[in-house]
Amino acid sequence: MIMLGKIIAVHSYKGGTGKTLLSLNLAATFVKHGKNVCLFDLDFRAPSLSTVLKIEKVECWLNDYLNGTCEIDKVLTDLSDRIQKGGKLFVGLANPTTEAIRDMSAKDRKWEMRALGRLLALRNSLLNDKGLDYLIFDTSPGLQYSSINAIVSADLVIVATTFDRSDVDGTKRMLHELYELFEKKTEIVLNKVMYDVYSRSGKEDIQGKIKDIYQVPLLGTIPCFCDISRAEGNIIFAQEKPEHPFAKILEDMANKIDKMT
Amino acid sequence: MYTCKTLWGSIVTAQEVLGKKPLNILEKIRENLEKLNEKMEVMIELQKHGRKDIQPLPEAPLDVMTLLSMPDHLRKTAMTVCRLGRATADELAQQTHRARAVESAYLNQLVIMGHLKKERKGRKAYFYVDRGTQG
Repeated sequence: MIMLGKIIAVHSYKGGTGKTLLSLNLAATFVKHGKNVCLFDLDFRAPSLSTVLKIEKVECWLNDYLNGTCEIDKVLTDLSDRIQKGGKLFVGLANPTTEAIRDMSAKDRKWEMRALGRLLALRNSLLNDKGLDYLIFDTSPGLQYSSINAIVSADLVIVATTFDRSDVDGTKRMLHELYELFEKKTEIVLNKVMYDVYSRSGKEDIQGKIKDIYQVPLLGTIPCFCDISRAEGNIIFAQEKPEHPFAKILEDMANKIDKMT
Repeated sequence: MYTCKTLWGSIVTAQEVLGKKPLNILEKIRENLEKLNEKMEVMIELQKHGRKDIQPLPEAPLDVMTLLSMPDHLRKTAMTVCRLGRATADELAQQTHRARAVESAYLNQLVIMGHLKKERKGRKAYFYVDRGTQG
């Protein structure tokens, strides 16, 4: 089987760990590097990409594709014109209406099995046929069906975590009871870290600590930046603030992922 | 050319013994032996894992929660079928780096459990997840 592109699932144990921020900015960084990327909102319980990207109307939602009522082409919105230069950026959005959220949380096992089949089919339709380089799944936190479907379909799982004790414990459990069982390549991104971004020793301490706790590779650490909070989700740092330290961290992460086989 | 001796000592060809379509009969015997072999593999596998009580289930959706609750050896096979869509035991073995006979046994066990479907096309047996129609 020839693997042309990669599917990345961005997941976490708890909410608020920065999955959407990371997914969107990582997608924008790949596009800056000339890659063709499609970002999917698989957080059907709390869709947020449509708000963050200020997209109100789409031809079809990702919900419709998973329901089998449309093909994936109808779901994709081309946002390449928002990117100054580089590759192409598409997004597939989750329907944010209350009715759609209610509908998605009432699906049965058979529906979820078909949804898994449809997610797995994206490898052929988007990576192999359309020649996209990356599909990024922004998932719901915890053990939601849609998230586990995304993890099973992915080549790489990026786990966004913080130093919050319950998050650390939950993430450790998920590493052993979820990603490991599915034999998934997993990398940790530690977010909201309280250290001086320019201090080398502080950074190395954190990296050592994370490797001891989780026993999986660390893709990167993101310090607690006040300007990220201040931006209130209105800025794609990788695109609009390329000189920001956060954008530099994303560059490192994207380069590491690019080099993975 | 297959030959044998009659009670009277004369040599006859296999074609004369078996009638007009000896190859078809031999083919049928080979197919039956293969089916028997697959059943034996399943029985050995079931005994190995102490699951003599497994009954065929008519409908058992292969969703992610089912995958999670499976023993490791079956999960690997089931996930590979999910990824490939449709595959023979040979194709599975190439992906999982396990022996073809082992994969064949696991695949047939998953068929018995109702998670996979099996379809014969000539000499090959294909295994797939029956996702049915959207509804």
